[in-house]
Amino acid sequence: MTIRNRIFTVVGVVLAAAYLQTLIVLQVENRRSAAADALDRAIWRIAKQAELGRVIVELDALERGYAAAGRHADGADHDRLWGLYERATALLPESLDAPGSKRELAAIDALMREWRAAPPGPDRARLMGRVRAEFDRLETLERGRLGDDRIKVNSQSLQSTLLTLGIPAVAIVMLLGLVAFVARILLDPLKAIAASARKISAGNFDVSLPKESKDEIGDLVRAFREMITAVQRRQREVTEAFARERQQSEISAALRVKAEREHQRLQATIETVPVGLLIVDAETGRIVLQNRAAGLFIGHEPRDDAERDAYWRAFTVTTRDGTAVDVRTWGAERVLQGQAIVGEELVVTHPERREMPILVSAAPLREDDGRISGGVVAFQDITSLYEVDRLKTEFVSIVSHELRTPLTSIKGALQLLIDEGIAADPDHTMLMSVALSNTERLVRIINDILDISKIEAGKLELNVRPHAAAEVVKQSLQNVEPIAQGALVTLGADIEPGVPEVQVDLDRVIQAIMNLLSNALKVAPPHSEVTLAARRAGDFVAFSVTDRGKGIPQDKIGLLFQKFQQLDGASTRKARGTGLGLAIVKALVEMQGGRVSVDSTVGQGSTFTVTVPVAR
Amino acid sequence: MKLLLAEDEPDVQLIARLSLKKAGFTVVTVASGVEVLRRVVEERPDAILLDWMMPDMDGYETCRRLKADPATASIPVIFLTARVQEAELARAMALGAVGCIGKPFDALTLGKQVLELLGSR
Repeated sequence: MTIRNRIFTVVGVVLAAAYLQTLIVLQVENRRSAAADALDRAIWRIAKQAELGRVIVELDALERGYAAAGRHADGADHDRLWGLYERATALLPESLDAPGSKRELAAIDALMREWRAAPPGPDRARLMGRVRAEFDRLETLERGRLGDDRIKVNSQSLQSTLLTLGIPAVAIVMLLGLVAFVARILLDPLKAIAASARKISAGNFDVSLPKESKDEIGDLVRAFREMITAVQRRQREVTEAFARERQQSEISAALRVKAEREHQRLQATIETVPVGLLIVDAETGRIVLQNRAAGLFIGHEPRDDAERDAYWRAFTVTTRDGTAVDVRTWGAERVLQGQAIVGEELVVTHPERREMPILVSAAPLREDDGRISGGVVAFQDITSLYEVDRLKTEFVSIVSHELRTPLTSIKGALQLLIDEGIAADPDHTMLMSVALSNTERLVRIINDILDISKIEAGKLELNVRPHAAAEVVKQSLQNVEPIAQGALVTLGADIEPGVPEVQVDLDRVIQAIMNLLSNALKVAPPHSEVTLAARRAGDFVAFSVTDRGKGIPQDKIGLLFQKFQQLDGASTRKARGTGLGLAIVKALVEMQGGRVSVDSTVGQGSTFTVTVPVAR
Repeated sequence: MKLLLAEDEPDVQLIARLSLKKAGFTVVTVASGVEVLRRVVEERPDAILLDWMMPDMDGYETCRRLKADPATASIPVIFLTARVQEAELARAMALGAVGCIGKPFDALTLGKQVLELLGSR
């Protein structure tokens, strides 16, 4: 039952009780009023009865007075009194409602009427006596009734008083009951819920709620309980979320610290490296970041645009071949298109400083969306490299010259001495030959070193023009003929008919082929043949040098063309070379657009092939 | 045939002189470019061998002056050089020299090389 219904019911009951009480009060009041009326009537009756009695007594007294006077009663007085009697008796019967009284009154009236009709005399006195006796009985009867009525009225009054006092008491009790009821069904649960709410506010979810009755309070309790569950769940979620958040923030704080540290390290590194580093913004072309080395080199560009232009104009920048460039636009196009610049040389002349060669690298910087926002530029002062390079060239030049001069003397002296044949002992001639051959070897080494250093420095100039392949073969073979004779090896030429002209630097291609030939002669067994063949191979002519030596193991072929590599160097004295020969061959041939290859079978010999382009 | 040999290095000068003498040349030796210019008029050599690098006046400058002087311009000049570099060879040829002989030269064939260069003129 809902509380509304319950309250309606209880209030209904209280109202019904009040109504009932009112009915009872009215009833009691009616009865009391009726009793009071009866008493009034009884009093009035007594009065009338007394009046009748007085009339009767007066009639009797009148009779007796007249009798005592010996005369007969005057008719007029008698009639007046009789009239009074008649009036008294006429009024009485309606109030004398008790049957006994009515009978007595009837008897009295009958006796009176008999008394009136009776002639004076004793009969009349006797009749009067009977009347008086009857009247006494009536009076006694009526007085008894009056007492009863009084008792009844008193009783009714008492009841009425008790009710008058009792009803409000009952009403108060009922109201108190009502209040207590409302308090119990409404206020107590509300109070409990309020207390629970306070506990929950304080963070304590351990609350005891009223039983879930099937009414509004029950609904409220249920809703409240659901709310607690929801709040708890939310709180748990919030707590978890908070914990996660905190964990996240701890992680991110740790990451931040780490990133900070990394950043500091990077910053320190960037500031410390002797390489100038710049970051240039793609949009404005301004330098947005530069390290110390860059600052030392180019200073700091002014903020103002006009000043900035003037600042940069003060620099003279050229590429290595002397072409003037605008350093601010140089490379920008490539970098903005996403290309990297790797180690290109520029020569920068600072207004207040010497000319400085720099090596520049640059790379685009991309945003997350792939847009190029700028470029990072790294540059390095390579003055010292230039200096080292210059010193190396100078050194090689000086060394080669300074060594050649004494070697010229030694070689010439030995040659002349041997040629004179002045030695008394054949051993002496042999010793002088050893000295001579080693001198020549030293000269070859110097020549090779000079060649390789020139090649590496890019200073070897080629004089490329068309030459007959046969001429190349002829001259190459001619130059090694003396060595072949000394080694007891036959030289053979194998020129394909109709082989075209080649586009080469004659001296250099002969130098390369001679190198191969002299290598072949070193490994060729006595009385074997070394051949030089020339054949067309597509757009190239292949010059192949074939020997019948021991051959080269497959795993050693890769080393052949590296500098200072000598295979089997110590095996025979005559095989000793500089270790630069094949490296020079490779470099010379490749500079002319050709290639070198080796085909070798261990135990059968090797074929070294140089291919050079056909002349057009 | 008379050759004027200019070589500042005494040992090299000796070897070259002996080698050329052996090949049948008459050799007059000097040790500097300045001496070449001084002696060339009195000696009237058939050819001049000039070391490229010499103190006072180097072979290049000496050659330039020889070619600039109508009295000596017709005398063929051959360079002796330790630097076999194309650029130098080209410069020498541009001056009017007949050729270069690299150092170390072959003492047995030096005379032959000189004759070949003179003949190829």
